[in-house]
Amino acid sequence: MVESTSRAVVGVFTYMDDALEAVKNVKAANLDWRMYSPVPRHEIEEVTFPQKSPVRLVSFCCALTGCICGWSLAILCSLDWPMRTSAKNIASIPAFFVPGYEWTILFGGLGTLFAIFAYCKIPSVVRAAGYDPRFSHDKFGVVVACSAGQVADVSKRLKTAGADEVDVRDSL
Amino acid sequence: MEEKHDSKKEAPVTYAEVNDTILKMLEPPGTGWYLLLFTCLFFLAIGASCWFYQMWSGFGESGKSHPIGWGTYITNFVFWVGIAHSGTLISAVLSLFRAAFRQPIYRLAEAMTVFAVMTAGLFPIIHLGRPWYALWLMPYPNQRALWPNFRSPLLWDVFAVSTYFTISATFFIVGLIPDIAAARDRATTRFRKTLYGVTSLGWRNSHVQWKHYTAAYLIFAAFATPLVVSVHSVVSWDFAMSIVPGWHATIFPPYFVAGAIFSGVAMVVTLIIPLRKAFKLERLITPFHFDAMSKLILMTSGVVTYSYITEFYTAWFSNNPFERFQFWFRPFGEFWIAFWGMTFCNCIFPQLLWVKSLRTNIPFLFVLSIFINIGMWLERFNIIFQSLTREFIPAAWGGYNFSWVEVGITVGAFGWFGMWMTLFIKFFPSVAIVEIKEILPPPVRREGHGHGHEHAAVGAVH
Repeated sequence: MVESTSRAVVGVFTYMDDALEAVKNVKAANLDWRMYSPVPRHEIEEVTFPQKSPVRLVSFCCALTGCICGWSLAILCSLDWPMRTSAKNIASIPAFFVPGYEWTILFGGLGTLFAIFAYCKIPSVVRAAGYDPRFSHDKFGVVVACSAGQVADVSKRLKTAGADEVDVRDSL
Repeated sequence: MEEKHDSKKEAPVTYAEVNDTILKMLEPPGTGWYLLLFTCLFFLAIGASCWFYQMWSGFGESGKSHPIGWGTYITNFVFWVGIAHSGTLISAVLSLFRAAFRQPIYRLAEAMTVFAVMTAGLFPIIHLGRPWYALWLMPYPNQRALWPNFRSPLLWDVFAVSTYFTISATFFIVGLIPDIAAARDRATTRFRKTLYGVTSLGWRNSHVQWKHYTAAYLIFAAFATPLVVSVHSVVSWDFAMSIVPGWHATIFPPYFVAGAIFSGVAMVVTLIIPLRKAFKLERLITPFHFDAMSKLILMTSGVVTYSYITEFYTAWFSNNPFERFQFWFRPFGEFWIAFWGMTFCNCIFPQLLWVKSLRTNIPFLFVLSIFINIGMWLERFNIIFQSLTREFIPAAWGGYNFSWVEVGITVGAFGWFGMWMTLFIKFFPSVAIVEIKEILPPPVRREGHGHGHEHAAVGAVH
C-alpha cells in the first residue's frame, strides 16, 4: 500500500476499465499504488484485491462468543437465583434459546462493525493519499507513490492507460 | 393517474446524475420542511406532556384497569415494532436475494426501521408507569441478588428488541458511511462540512475499504435476516405463551411476521410517495418499484388473511368453548367495528392490487397504504383488547374507555417518529447513492468490461 514517500502521482479516470488497466500496469512495475472508485465492483475487486476479506472470520468468532455468552448468562443467572416453575428445569434449554440466539447475532454484528473499523482504518483523521472529491462522484482514481525520479515514468503509464488528467503531489 | 415509464425514451441515468439528484435533497430546507418539522414537534410536545402528566398523577390516567392491563401502549408497541420490520426485510433479506427493486427504497426503509424501533421501545417503558425502574429488566448484579426470569417471554422481548435495534442501527449507519462521504465531498457550508466530515469517519472509497466493506455488508445482511423472523416471533410469544383465549396459538409467530412485513411495506409506501414528489425522484423511484412493493403487499395480505381464517378455524376445531366464544365475540361483540375495519383494510381493500394498473397508481397506493396501517393497528387492538375483555369467566369480563392521556401519547409517538424522519431526510442521503450506482452499468471504454456496456451509465435505474 501507499507509504509515506516523496511523490504521489494521481491519475483521474472516467472509465473503469482504463483505471483497471492502469492498476495492472503499475502492479506489473511493482509500484506502490492505491485505487479509488465511486462504487464497489467485482471487476475492480478481481484486479485490486482478489483475496478473501478476513472480516468474515472476525464475525464468526464474535458470533460464537455471543452464543456462548448468551447461553451462559441465562443458565448462570437461573442457577444463581433458582426459581422453580412447575416441573420445568431451572436451566431450561428451550427457553434459553432466545437469549443465546439474540446474543449470537448481537455479538456477531458488533464484531463485524469493529472489523470494518479495523480493516478499513476508520475513523480516520488523516488525509488519504491523493484523494480527490471526484472519486466519490463519478471518477476513478489511481494513486501511485514513487520517488521524484520515477514521476515521469509513472505519469506516462497512467496517461497511456487512459487517464483524463495526471497530477503530481509533493508528498503524501 | 397510472404512471408510465419508458426507459428507451429517456437518457440513461449516470453516476453523476445519481449524486446530483440525491445530494440535492440535502440543500437548505424550505418552508414546507419547517412546517412539517414543527408539526411533528407539536405532536411530540403533546405526547411528552401527557406522559409527564401520567407520571405525575399516576398510571390510572392511562385508562387501563382490570381486566385490560395491556392497553393502548402495548398495542402501539406491537404496531411500531411491526412497522420497523420491513426495513430489515428490504435492506437485508432482499439484498441477499438480489432483488432489483430494493436499491432506491431501502435507505428510507432502514431509517424507518431504526426510528420505528426507537418509538416502539418507548412504549414498554411508558407502560411501566414508573419508567425509572426499566433498568430492572437488565441482568446486572444488584444488592437484591435477583436476576431477571429468563423463561419469561417479556425478557426475551428485551433481548430481541434491543438486539434488533442495535443491529438495525449498525446496518443503517454502516450503509450510510460512503454516502455521507459523497455528501462531505460536495458540502459547501462550514456546518455541513463539519457534520459530514465527522460522520463519514474519514471514508475515502479506496479499493481496500470497498473490499472489506462489501464483505462486511453481506455478513450484516446475513445477521439481520434471522432477526426479521425472530423479533416479531418473540413479540408474538408475549401473547402466545399465555393461556388467554385468542392469544394461545401456535400460528402467532408466522402470522405476526407476515403482518409486520405487510404494515412495514405499507409504511414505506406512505413515506416514499411524498418524498419522491417533493424531491423529484421520479427517475430513481419508478413505477417498477411501486409495482414490486404492491406485489409484496398483496402477498403478505394473503398470508395475513389466511392467518385470520386459520385462527377462526382452530378456535372452531379445538372445541374449546372459551376460544370459540372469543372468536365469536370479535366480529359480533362490543368492538365489532374494529374487527370489520381490520378485515376491510387488511384483507379486502388490498385485493385491488391484483389489477395491474392500480399497482402503479400512486394516489391509490398512498390511500391504500394508510388504510393498511390503520388496519394493522386495529389488528393489534383486536388481539389485545378483545382477548382481555372476554377471558374465561364472565365475572372477569370488562370494557375499556380510552383516556385522553393515552391518545395524546399515541399522537406524540407519531410526532417523535416524524421528527426523526424529517430531520433525517434533510441532513443525510435518504436514497442510497452507492447502491443505486451499483445497479448502473459502469462507465467503460472497451467491450467486455462491466457487462459489455460501452458508455457511461447506459440504461435506467431498474
